[in-house]
Amino acid sequence: MIECRALCARHGSFRLTDVSFTVPTGAYGVVIGPAGSGKTTLLETIAGIVPATAGQLFLHTRDATQLAPESRGLGLVYQHGYLFAHLSVAENIAYGAASPEAAEEAARRFGADALTGRPVRALSGGERQLVALARAFARRPSFILLDEPFSALDPRRRMIVRREVRALHRAWGLTTLQVTHDFTEAGLLGDVAILLDSGRALQSGSPEDVFRRPASRYIAEFLGAENVLAGNVRVLDDVAPDWLEGESAEIAHGYRAIEFTSGPLTLYTVGDFPVGDGYAVIRAEEIVLSPEAPVGSARNRFRGTVSELATLGALARVTVDVNGVPLVASLTTRSAKELALATGMPVTASFKAMAVHLC
Amino acid sequence: MPTATTQSTPSRAPQRIAAVFAALASSLLLLFLAVPIGKLVVSGGAAGIRQLASDAELRGALSLTAVTATVATLLGVLGGTPLAYVLARRDFRGRAVLSALLDLPLLIPHPVAGIALLLLLGRESALGGVLLGAGLRVVGTPLGIVAAMLFVAAPLFISGAREAFARVSPRYEAVARTLGDSPWRAFARVTLPLSRRGLIASAVVMWARAVSEFGAIVVLTYNPKVASVLSYDRFTSFGLREALPVAAVLALLALIPLTALRTLRGADEEVAP
Repeated sequence: MIECRALCARHGSFRLTDVSFTVPTGAYGVVIGPAGSGKTTLLETIAGIVPATAGQLFLHTRDATQLAPESRGLGLVYQHGYLFAHLSVAENIAYGAASPEAAEEAARRFGADALTGRPVRALSGGERQLVALARAFARRPSFILLDEPFSALDPRRRMIVRREVRALHRAWGLTTLQVTHDFTEAGLLGDVAILLDSGRALQSGSPEDVFRRPASRYIAEFLGAENVLAGNVRVLDDVAPDWLEGESAEIAHGYRAIEFTSGPLTLYTVGDFPVGDGYAVIRAEEIVLSPEAPVGSARNRFRGTVSELATLGALARVTVDVNGVPLVASLTTRSAKELALATGMPVTASFKAMAVHLC
Repeated sequence: MPTATTQSTPSRAPQRIAAVFAALASSLLLLFLAVPIGKLVVSGGAAGIRQLASDAELRGALSLTAVTATVATLLGVLGGTPLAYVLARRDFRGRAVLSALLDLPLLIPHPVAGIALLLLLGRESALGGVLLGAGLRVVGTPLGIVAAMLFVAAPLFISGAREAFARVSPRYEAVARTLGDSPWRAFARVTLPLSRRGLIASAVVMWARAVSEFGAIVVLTYNPKVASVLSYDRFTSFGLREALPVAAVLALLALIPLTALRTLRGADEEVAP
């Protein structure tokens, strides 16, 4: 377990403030946030490189706040590897290795064994990352901290190495914390996602939760939510939620039917959001487009015209203008072709009440 | 197209003039720096080398210069390395003041440095008295030469070593720490080897500066004579003709650290992560 309790640290003029989150033992945590948000400083504070000025850090059940880095039982891999240029590749991997066998195994698993004959200075950025990963894993740490460790790898190698890291994480029961800019990677790898900005942890939870239920408009926009609408919340206390088909369990748990008005649009959702101003977030992939009004159970349906159609490989982003409000939908390029979507074409954009998240 | 030609022609002329002016100024400066030393070596080099065989005082002065400069450099490296490391790595109140203090010996006239050292280490001073009591006479001995060399040349080592440490990202040490090293071990196994070239180059610069020192030494220890003092002594006592071979040998001696520096810099590479 890695547990930060109101952890504070200072690195130059940058401050990490009251950072709290927990990555359970054996879980894979991902730290996401804009550049300069303090992701690397957070890892360095957990590693003990940057001293904590306040708060507590627990590694498993031990208070590690004041422990020296070498006593924390963790490995740290920086984005640039920081290989020791005065040593050979093999010596780098063996540096601090639990045993010669552990070094050999780590080198083999990350494909760094093929690089042992080459001088460190001659390695490419991606190769350096492989050696740095092998060096950290060869120590057989209990915790591993990874600062964008796959960023210099080509897509194929990235997939292989990512899989290997995940496999070792599972096999050795490692508690892992990885910084990434790649939201797909965060979703693929993470059991826990921590969103950091300006040295503060704005939100933490399962990646599903963080991505689908961002705590603020800023987080929603940072995480790439395409539809963030400002508006007003009204609780429909007296309305029988007959339109909340399949969502009655949420109501039973104290959620209420809510009407959200944003300009000419009125959306319906469920939640426990207080009455007043707020933001509605609808992810593009939740919006279904159809030439006619769909027959399904979606409560929110809006008639509009396609104002923009952008194809991004296998996916298409379609912007539908609904009375001057743009709604962005994401669908496969194939679906877009089947629907014969084109600019100016009238369509119905629909989404379920549960697809609307208020913040 | 004709428009483009008419536009570009007037803008190129001042650039050409500036380039010619820059080349001329650089060439003149280069000649000014190289010619006197070249002429000195050409005029007196051969005689100086021949004189080495017959002139025991010159041989003695040269070996005294080399030994005292080496001792001063060793002392400078020993005390300056931790200081340079702290200045490169730690952020503390008063760091700027400390840096300025360390640069001060480079800025004051060297005879003034000699006078300052005389005040501190002379027999009249408290420290000088204590040292004399312990059997250590500084003024007028090789110890005085070492003190003078250390005072004027150590700041060069500290400055260079600080730069060498600063070029090695502290993240190398961070990684070494997570791989089980204590701070000392990480320094010895990672930082020191990675900054080695810069440290050696700084030590060579310090040694060369110590060898060429005159002003502070002449105040503290005129006798026994180091090479620079001997060269001055022969010039004032016997004139240019006698001083020339000694001066030429000193100039040739400077080629040793120069060659060492060139070799080090040639092999130097950026410490990339």
